[in-house]
Amino acid sequence: MPETRRRKFSLFDLVSDYIENLESLSEEMGRAFAERPSWDTRTCCIEPLCSVFIVADEVVVTADLPNTKPDTIKVEPVNRDLLEIKAEMKRKISFDEFGITHRQGEFQFFRCQARIPVPVDTKRIKTQFKRGILEVHLPRKKSYRIRVE
Amino acid sequence: MERKAVPSNATMLHGLPDVGLVGLIATSHVISQLKMDEVAYVDSELLPPVVVLHEGLPYAPLRIFGDGGLVATISEAAIPAKAVPPIMRKLVEWGQAKSVKLVVSMGGMPVQDRQDIAEPKVYGAASNLALLKTLSDRGIEILKGGFMVGPYALIMRYCAERNVPAIALLAQSFYNYPDPEAAAAAIRELGKITGISIDVSKLVEGGEEIRLRARDVMRRTEQELNRMKKTQEYDLPLYV
Repeated sequence: MPETRRRKFSLFDLVSDYIENLESLSEEMGRAFAERPSWDTRTCCIEPLCSVFIVADEVVVTADLPNTKPDTIKVEPVNRDLLEIKAEMKRKISFDEFGITHRQGEFQFFRCQARIPVPVDTKRIKTQFKRGILEVHLPRKKSYRIRVE
Repeated sequence: MERKAVPSNATMLHGLPDVGLVGLIATSHVISQLKMDEVAYVDSELLPPVVVLHEGLPYAPLRIFGDGGLVATISEAAIPAKAVPPIMRKLVEWGQAKSVKLVVSMGGMPVQDRQDIAEPKVYGAASNLALLKTLSDRGIEILKGGFMVGPYALIMRYCAERNVPAIALLAQSFYNYPDPEAAAAAIRELGKITGISIDVSKLVEGGEEIRLRARDVMRRTEQELNRMKKTQEYDLPLYV
């Protein structure tokens, strides 16, 4: 079998490619975060800190939502690999309260989008909100199984 | 660069950006509660071209405060991973030149499901056996094995090399979310070791506000932690 064809079926290569892609995506997201403000005065939104973890049977997305009204939290799939989190703060926060007087604007909402790197079942999403941390559990789709002999 | 007379024979606290910003939040709170004055700052080409404005005046992000028998270092901006080793070495050398009697690093120890922990536990590490015993005697559980990564790891190592007494107080914390409750837990343990009593109610009651303000520093700190391979702290060491 030619080398190129054989490599396609190597589980280790697939995993290695997968991890490389993830790392590259993570770096890309990191750069994107650093290159633009974490707030938007037009929409009165602040981008919360957010993380995505992949484990064997699910993807867990967490977001730090301090000062949030729990009943306003919305978790919505935008498409197959993008999840949007929105929430309203208990009170409006202005730049002034951050010690910034040269900018104008108030913030009342959290909003962020988390990219889901593996297929998940968006119909079975579970959420919990504790100590200001939102936790979203998305069960992974089982697309195929490798039989071990 | 020293701006004022620096106390000698002091206890030196380090509050540098790390997991959960625990050390930075804790040490900033100590500085604020004791109304400590800036006595020195770190000027280095290894640091980004950043100044922090307070009431319109420019300050270096990495500064040292002093008051009586206490000296405290904080960095209001993330320290680039590449700058961490030389700057930590310089801080330890500077502390030794000032005859510090004890170096205390407050920090976080990331745990899964931190949101399920009501009262974060604080673990201790020390640069010598006598200090390990002191920590144990005060009821602080010792970190016996595993890896430490980042500024506190190097401070501990450089202090051990130079026989500068050093301890680290590491509170269970979030990895990449600011954690004022963990900072409060570290300060409580600091009191047991040094006798410095600090009211932490502002940290606990105003925690949500602090988390909101600390978001951007945490975001940039996380990028540097990733470059330092901070997650190596989760690794299981090879003991044969």
